[in-house]
Amino acid sequence: MTPSKRMWRLAFALSKQRMLSTRMLIMLPILLLFIPGMAWGFADPNIQLPAEQLPKNGTEVMFLASIGIVFAGTMAAVLIAHDGISRDRVSGVLEVRLSQPMPRWRQGVVLMFGHWSSIALPVAVLLAASMMLVGYRSGMWMPFGDALIYIVAAMLILLWYTVFALLASSIAKEQGSAIAFSIGLWFLFTLLWVLFTTLLAALNGVAVGDTQDQGYLVFEGRLDLLSPNGVYHHLLETRLDGVDRGVSALGAYFAAILWTIVPVYLFQRRLNRLVP
Amino acid sequence: MGDDDAMQFDSIGYRHQIPNPAWYNPFKKRKGAGITHVDLSIPEGSIIGLVGTNGAGKTTLLRMISGILPLEEGTVKRHDSVMDSDALRSLVGFMPEQVRWSSQGTIRRTMTEFAHLRGCSVQSALDVLAVVGLKNRMDSTLDSLSQGMRQRLSLGVALLGTPRVLVLDEPFNGMDPVAIDAFKRLLRSLANKGISIIVSSHHLAELDHLVDTIALLHRGQLLAHGTTDSLRANLGFEQMTEIVLDRQIEQELLDAMNVLEHIESERQHRYVIESGHHDLLETLVKNNHTISTWRVVPPTLIELLCAATGMDRETIGMDVEQSSMIPFRTVGGEEE
Repeated sequence: MTPSKRMWRLAFALSKQRMLSTRMLIMLPILLLFIPGMAWGFADPNIQLPAEQLPKNGTEVMFLASIGIVFAGTMAAVLIAHDGISRDRVSGVLEVRLSQPMPRWRQGVVLMFGHWSSIALPVAVLLAASMMLVGYRSGMWMPFGDALIYIVAAMLILLWYTVFALLASSIAKEQGSAIAFSIGLWFLFTLLWVLFTTLLAALNGVAVGDTQDQGYLVFEGRLDLLSPNGVYHHLLETRLDGVDRGVSALGAYFAAILWTIVPVYLFQRRLNRLVP
Repeated sequence: MGDDDAMQFDSIGYRHQIPNPAWYNPFKKRKGAGITHVDLSIPEGSIIGLVGTNGAGKTTLLRMISGILPLEEGTVKRHDSVMDSDALRSLVGFMPEQVRWSSQGTIRRTMTEFAHLRGCSVQSALDVLAVVGLKNRMDSTLDSLSQGMRQRLSLGVALLGTPRVLVLDEPFNGMDPVAIDAFKRLLRSLANKGISIIVSSHHLAELDHLVDTIALLHRGQLLAHGTTDSLRANLGFEQMTEIVLDRQIEQELLDAMNVLEHIESERQHRYVIESGHHDLLETLVKNNHTISTWRVVPPTLIELLCAATGMDRETIGMDVEQSSMIPFRTVGGEEE
């Protein structure tokens, strides 16, 4: 068997193991509630949204429902991967793994792919089911291109959070710190980022209270490039009409590539220098 | 380097990075304790006992030999060819001190996973379980294993892919005497098959009748390496004999020898004397003593250290307590 084949076998085995874990069973109802549940809710033809905005097509419904990915999907990724390294480190198994001939970068790929795919696969299935639900309930079917971009964007944000969690897990030497680090990062980008953006906008003299103010929208859009959730939404917005937040589709794609390469590189570098 | 050497480490060194926070950089680190300029030859099929006090650097050296820690200084050679860490890891099987294998996964799944990591066939990995006595427990979950079985599993993983060198860090910790005996016999049979074994311990007695040579490590330096006899000759410490008999040895005999210890219990007297009294046994028998024990006592770690460093017991004890190696990397909490 070639080294690559062995690596992918290990990754799939890890993925299967994580997918069938107790924590996944606990998270599955949450994912169901947040992903197809939200899509079902936003597909209601009589929905009342702030500022009387109504989604005009399936893509817009799924854009609104993407908050389920931001809240539940990313949280699930963090919870799946937060002890990916720290658990083995505490038990001494990490030492045994690092003493094996398989190069550390390959072991890094196993960890990243194994954890990511264990959450990505259920989310992708739920996302596809959500799109069907939206089409069934509102009659607004998503174009295939839009559906593909929405699924790819969701897979990317899950990868980013998985790698953050693994990075945190490699730095922390016990479970508590690993989860605090990962959840802290999730909290920062998911909840505190709005506060951070608003604060920074106010300091720059932007009309913070006016959500229709183009200056604020552009400021927020550019600052969002520094957040994985922001980049995720920029990717989704590339498929929406009439959205201008100062970032082009190319800029969003470029940011997504950077958000993929940099954390993966940092994780691999960290793993290469890891002392058990 | 001899042709029968499985591996040769030349002047290897590694120092741990320890936190040294400054106001301008809270993550600043500096080089701390570690291993310096260790030369070690590992002959094929031999068992080396690596001994040293707590914090001497045994685990660090074993991790370097296993390719887990990089060699910051020096080289490792096999048959005169310098090896990189990937090649080193493929030749060395490592068993860390007390791995707490735990999950709902089975032994079979663990061995399969490590077979992929090692690059050997799954069947050969499962066959190793017979060697370590876990074949019948193949489908047991890791959570259900006793400490002794976990140690066996660790050994099984270390044996995957037929390593040339087996590195065992304190393997006897947590094992009962029966398991230790079985473990020692297994190690000897592996050595007879040509596998070189390095086993660390801070108790010399544990390595008694197991190792061929002893490597004495102290404060990150290899002080001595050789057979017990050669160490005794080189370091100049006396061999001791333990005698247990039914009654006290006659005073004129005692006056002629150096008695290091005498313990009197209900029906027996235990003496530890400096060896070299060749006619003593014959004399005791002639004097109608009933001798229940007569054995050469292996040197203790503290005696070896005293002999190697020239320090006395008290100084050695204080030296260990004040050593900069304790703690190794725990300063500053969880960060490395």
